[in-house]
Amino acid sequence: MTKQYVGNSTSTLDHAAFVSGRSTYTADHIFPNQLHAHFVRSTHAAAKIKRVDLSGAERVSGVVLAMDGMQAAEHLDPIPHFVDPIVFGGKTTNLRCLALGQVSYFGEPVAVVVAKDKKTALYAASRVNVEYEPTQAVLDASDAIDSNAPRVVPEWADNMLMQVPFGGGDCAAAFEAADHIVKTKLKVHRQSVQPIETRSYNAVWDHRESAITLYATAQNPHPLRYVLTNALRMPENKMRIVTSASGGAFGLKMHGHPEEALICLLAKLTKQAVKWIENREECLLTGGREQEHEVDFAINADGRILGIRDHFLANVGAPGGTPGWGMAFLTGLSMPGPYDVADLDVLANIVVTNKAPWSSCRGYGKEVTALALELGIDKAARELNMDPVQLRYKNFIKSDAFPKKSATGLIYDSGDYQGVMEKTLQLIDYDGFRDQQDALREEGTYAGIGVAYELTPEGGALPGTLVAGYDTSTVKVDPSGFVTVLTGVTDPGGGNRTGIGQIVADELGVEFEKIRVVQGDTQSCPYGFGNYSGRSTIVGGGSAALAAQDIKLKIITLAAVMMEVPEETIEIAGGIISTSADAGSQMSFVEVCYAAYTRNYDIAACIEPPLESTRTFKPGLISHTPDEEGKINPYPSYSNAAYAVVCEVDIETGKVSLKKFAVVHDCGKTINPILVEGQACGAVAFGIGGMLGEEILVDESGRQLTTDLVDYTMPRAADVPPIALGHHDTPNPITFMGLKGAGEAGVGGSAAAVVNAVNDALKCLNVEVLELPVSAPIVWKAIQAASLGSTETES
Amino acid sequence: MAVDMQELVEDSVLLQCRVNETPCEEFIHPTTSLLDFLRENLLLTGTHMGCMTGHCGACTVMVDGSIVKSCITLAASVQRKKISTIEGLGEKESLHPVQAAFCEESGFQCAYCAPGMLLSTVELLNETPDPSDAEIRSALSGNLCRCTGYQSIVRAVRTAAKLYTADKETQE
Ligand code: FES
Ligand code: FES
Repeated sequence: MTKQYVGNSTSTLDHAAFVSGRSTYTADHIFPNQLHAHFVRSTHAAAKIKRVDLSGAERVSGVVLAMDGMQAAEHLDPIPHFVDPIVFGGKTTNLRCLALGQVSYFGEPVAVVVAKDKKTALYAASRVNVEYEPTQAVLDASDAIDSNAPRVVPEWADNMLMQVPFGGGDCAAAFEAADHIVKTKLKVHRQSVQPIETRSYNAVWDHRESAITLYATAQNPHPLRYVLTNALRMPENKMRIVTSASGGAFGLKMHGHPEEALICLLAKLTKQAVKWIENREECLLTGGREQEHEVDFAINADGRILGIRDHFLANVGAPGGTPGWGMAFLTGLSMPGPYDVADLDVLANIVVTNKAPWSSCRGYGKEVTALALELGIDKAARELNMDPVQLRYKNFIKSDAFPKKSATGLIYDSGDYQGVMEKTLQLIDYDGFRDQQDALREEGTYAGIGVAYELTPEGGALPGTLVAGYDTSTVKVDPSGFVTVLTGVTDPGGGNRTGIGQIVADELGVEFEKIRVVQGDTQSCPYGFGNYSGRSTIVGGGSAALAAQDIKLKIITLAAVMMEVPEETIEIAGGIISTSADAGSQMSFVEVCYAAYTRNYDIAACIEPPLESTRTFKPGLISHTPDEEGKINPYPSYSNAAYAVVCEVDIETGKVSLKKFAVVHDCGKTINPILVEGQACGAVAFGIGGMLGEEILVDESGRQLTTDLVDYTMPRAADVPPIALGHHDTPNPITFMGLKGAGEAGVGGSAAAVVNAVNDALKCLNVEVLELPVSAPIVWKAIQAASLGSTETES
Repeated sequence: MAVDMQELVEDSVLLQCRVNETPCEEFIHPTTSLLDFLRENLLLTGTHMGCMTGHCGACTVMVDGSIVKSCITLAASVQRKKISTIEGLGEKESLHPVQAAFCEESGFQCAYCAPGMLLSTVELLNETPDPSDAEIRSALSGNLCRCTGYQSIVRAVRTAAKLYTADKETQE
């Protein structure tokens, strides 16, 4: 079959709507008699709630309803966790939409006010009076594990949400046997994904049906419906969730947030449409990635890594319903990344504190695996005086070793890590830079080059949860030959709808312009799991292709009868049906579609109408049956990439500027190069931003100091250098078309490359920064400390 | 006694301005931002909210030909001025060259930032028809994008510059 669209940079479906302000995002829905909600949030990180006085708000004219945690609890059951830690042997707790009796983080919703407009709701919320009795907050993970630490959840014996070992082999023996042991202490700071579109929900009550339609910024509408109807004690089929165009998600819009169920309840109680739009300060409460690692490498004199030990602490904040905490689990599971190390001893200590809960973040913990491994390898290279690239080559899994089972039980599908790295070095001219580095130094320029590798398991499935590996699509062809694809995967804004459209256009042999892709509506789309884990094109595209093939078979059967030629001679391309049996004869796709619906009692009796099919794509390799060591493989696909960056550090100010960036990635087969490239560049910007400036800070009592986008400095156009991109694809043998997934990969690899480049630039000053970020003040301090240290030794 | 917010502030003001060439007259609350006015009163939801503090650029519109952040501009301050929003730039059948360039180069993913990026580009190209990459990056410094890493946006602006010049030449 000739592919007309797949593999080409077809422009985004409905692109004209996107650039003319005509696409609809969730906040754009405005309904008749629209009401607006505003939350009253805790001003303490830890406190008992003595009293909530709503009367001040209730007296404001235009206020329809005000509610505290006690009232909410009468109507709402605890919200089910996206993934309950208890499934993985951790602790669980009841999650309330509004605080009940106590607050456990700054910004926790305590009360809510609904009014006729936003301003009134905001004003009235300021008149809610909450009396707190502050208690001691615990903010650092290392403090929280102290046996005397105050408990974040009073009924728990300690603050350990979960402690999970990962690994295999005999790590102790490896450390015994090694020539060198290199220890790296690494602190990853709290970051947040911050899409430009914040969350918003608009719930509409249908009085006749006692049903709710929720317009939501949600990555996973069907599983969200399960959660909400459970909390609201209503039948699952009485709720419809509609997601509109998404203004970026990156994990933030995976559910479990308290506002989701509450806005539905408010619509039910007021019998009107109730809307809430998160403000940026609220959005900045969600965090992620705050981990402290002690990574030890056991290395032989020839550079071979014999064993890796990493006992780490993850500060996941207070318990929350979103799957944020699971990131720390993945950090452990994804070790030892692309390296061939069988003796592995990893211990994830996942700790709760009085910070706001994590939301899931792009990279989903695997970015921290990359940081820990890649910063560790570079430190080893510095200590052992080896080239960091050669050290990686010595330890990469070889390209002929796949499928490869990792020490934690994952089964890597395919890869050529050294090949990917070599291409990256060519792109950035690694050797050329090394040749110039000393000369630059003599001119007073502190330039450095950093490399890093990232392996990103994608398309994950967790047993016993609504995080599934498979997904489903329906394809429908109208009598007029137009095609509608309804799919269970959703588009977080990265363009998977376009990719799915391309696949279906090719499978059916019709024009791309005839395809409409509908996603994110629980009423019309087949049950599906939405987007996460870079899965959408793998399973959405795969299932849509299967459904399209079913329909194509019917069309071929019918066309053959109509043209009076054998089926195997039929060809469909570009909306034209032709036959190799008679070069002169052809029909239009539309003609045959019309006949399929209208001639079923004569010529079309050979097929069953309608031209519709629903199919599921279930990638292989995922295995939920534990092996002899009790390990499972939750991932079908392992995309991977190498990153290299050249930076300059201004040693007077500590400011790091990036000069050149190169990425080569292996995402299997590429459906749409320009969209995949866009994903890759976006991930790089995330990685860069996370290391150069983005940081969420709280004061010593736990009140958040980072409240706007000046405090939280995400990269702007001038902060991101030009990115040279390359591909080195080894198709995944078991997914549809060899796709591996794109989108999630890249945050950790690029972040690690940046830190490695900074440390390379500062190596001559004996400065090493492993407490992140490498923002100007932190780098400056490190330079000062080193120069003070050296003057002291001199004197 | 009921406290009415309306009583706490001045009376409504009459705003008269032109939005995308259409004259409009509306009574508004004096504290209404231009962003809310456009989105809620005129239902022009192509202008987006990302922060309400002037830092993200999602709400960028043009007032008398210069870009402003509509979230920190009071609607009452655009009295008798000309406002252009993304909806006025061009539509499917008649895309403005800057829009065409962003489509061609995939200068967006989720496109939430796109309206602001496009209007900032229009302003840049009106002043500097053939900008360098550094000028492009600096002109877009008021607009955050979280999806693209800016690479495709910069490429789109370069293409827009070419189309824009060609377009102007044919018009002349
Ligand atoms: S909403 Fe106006 S700058 Fe962000
Ligand atoms: S394309 Fe999503 S914020 Fe720019």
